[in-house]
Amino acid sequence: MIKLLNRPLKVFTLYALLILACSIPVYYFIAEHIWLNELDEHNKTVSGQLKENLLNHSPTDSSLAENIAFWNKLQPVSALKFVPALKPDSIYTSIRKNKYIDDPEEQDRFRGLVSYFSIRDQNLQATVESNVEETHETILAITIITIAFFLLLFIGFIFLNKRISAGLWKPFYRTLDKIKAFELNHHNAVEFDKTNIIEFAELNTSLEKLISKDIATFREQKEFTENASHELQTPLAIIQSKLDLLMQSSELTPEQSRIIDGTEKALGRISRINRNLLLLAKIGNNQFANVERINLNDLVAEQIEMLSDHLATKNTILEYEPEGVVEVNANRILVESLITNLLTNSIRHSTNEGKIVIKLSSDFLIISNTGTGALEKDKLFKRFSSMSSGVQGTGLGLAIIHQICQRYGWEINYFSEDGNHRFRIEF
Amino acid sequence: MKILIIEDEKALAESMAAYLSAEQYLCEFAETFDDAMYKAETFHYDCILLDLMLPGGDGMRILEALKADNKEDGVIIISAKGSLEDRIKGLQIGADDYLAKPFHLPELAARIHSLIRRKSFGNNNLFRQNELKIDLLAKTVLVNDTEVILTKKEYDLLLYFISNKNRVVSKTALAEHLSGDVAGILDNYDFLYAHIKNLKKKLTEAGCDNYLKTIYGTGYKWQS
Repeated sequence: MIKLLNRPLKVFTLYALLILACSIPVYYFIAEHIWLNELDEHNKTVSGQLKENLLNHSPTDSSLAENIAFWNKLQPVSALKFVPALKPDSIYTSIRKNKYIDDPEEQDRFRGLVSYFSIRDQNLQATVESNVEETHETILAITIITIAFFLLLFIGFIFLNKRISAGLWKPFYRTLDKIKAFELNHHNAVEFDKTNIIEFAELNTSLEKLISKDIATFREQKEFTENASHELQTPLAIIQSKLDLLMQSSELTPEQSRIIDGTEKALGRISRINRNLLLLAKIGNNQFANVERINLNDLVAEQIEMLSDHLATKNTILEYEPEGVVEVNANRILVESLITNLLTNSIRHSTNEGKIVIKLSSDFLIISNTGTGALEKDKLFKRFSSMSSGVQGTGLGLAIIHQICQRYGWEINYFSEDGNHRFRIEF
Repeated sequence: MKILIIEDEKALAESMAAYLSAEQYLCEFAETFDDAMYKAETFHYDCILLDLMLPGGDGMRILEALKADNKEDGVIIISAKGSLEDRIKGLQIGADDYLAKPFHLPELAARIHSLIRRKSFGNNNLFRQNELKIDLLAKTVLVNDTEVILTKKEYDLLLYFISNKNRVVSKTALAEHLSGDVAGILDNYDFLYAHIKNLKKKLTEAGCDNYLKTIYGTGYKWQS
């Protein structure tokens, strides 16, 4: 995964590199061509001047021979020679040591013009030479300059890219941040910043529409759960009260009593499921907003005390190992509910004469109990996915635990070791 | 003893009245907010059972009006809302107790019993049944003038039974009374049997008649 803006940067950089690399030979050939052309012209000029001056200053054959000998003494390289016949002018390039340059390693390149002319029926050959920049030096210079320019380009690209992403893409990143921070169960509609870029404005409007629809649906659904649970409470209360009255009747047969007992148990279960659904809906609807500092050591101890009867009937040993004073900022009702649910779960699912271990520290709370076989992690915290059939749970305990943890950003994990269950909450 | 039942569900109000009448409570009804407000402000009741969601208004306002008039009627809120925040608010305004729907009628009777006892200092602080004497203020139990030492839960159970005397109380109602919501989650009444066994044993050993009868299949009944 790479950032959107880095992709064109990479392509642009590669393209610039390719073009600049190709430009090196092109520059070289052009520079070489211009250079040699100029030198050839220069040589021609020198040779022309030589010819003209030689003619002007050599009125006699003896003075000509004298001048040629003098010239050859002064300029042994550009020699003037008598030749038997005139030939067409020729150009040559030679590389050799330059004795006028100190560096003993240095090999210099020379461009020469060999031209022929005749003075008073005597054929002369004149050689004019100029020092030319060597090929490798030219290429080196061009390459260095090209690399320097490439680096400038590259730095420029990065800088511009940053400027562009900071400026041009700002509305996009702002939108992205808002969406990242958005949480459906917080109910706050997202308001995006105004932007004058058409694409971003369209994106924002579409997102706003989508989100507000989501929120409305979510709210409706949660309100429905809450209202439905509320509406059920009164009929449940009526059934319960009628059962309580029926029980008072003096002519009940044992069979009828058993039926009433069974009905009452089922009714109790419906009531609990309903209460838990209501609790879940309320947590989801952001009730229980007031937060206080809660001493977890005391709270856990209280809950254990409350459940001592049930621990005793199952002969369960409970070990409670708090480390130091642990306090959290949360709603008391929710934290009580969390601990009660965790504890009742571990009591309910532990084997008879089993063992429950509670560890509490400022970072975590661990409740583990002896059990039989691991539970399915994926389904564990979902509503009504209770996996043990024999036990009369509401199927909502772990969902409540999960939702409360989520509310406060605590992480809850389930582990299974040798059939033992372990729940760990990370504060 | 006069009780005002403010409840718009007729079936529920009637059940409550039927159960409570057996204890010489005189029940009156109010089904709407206005009716309830009128009765609560005009007459005196030993206890008002107040449903918060009423046709015509919020029951909480009746409570506020009672407190504003400095009326001393005991108030038990009975609400379908069941939210603990409501409970806290109700108790802050001045309700004496709070009961969430659905509830067991014996639980309601126990709450009313306890409320009326608290409201009438000196008068009703002594429960007496032959050799058994309970001092409700000191929380002591005497059999033939000898004190019987009970645990908190055994004492709770005893009070629950005498506030529902001569009526059948189910195991579920008792279990929920002792350990709240948790009782049902664990679906095990062994702890309840243990407490009841101990209570019976302590009372009979002190020379008390066995007033607590086991009703086959359903629960228990305290006979007086």
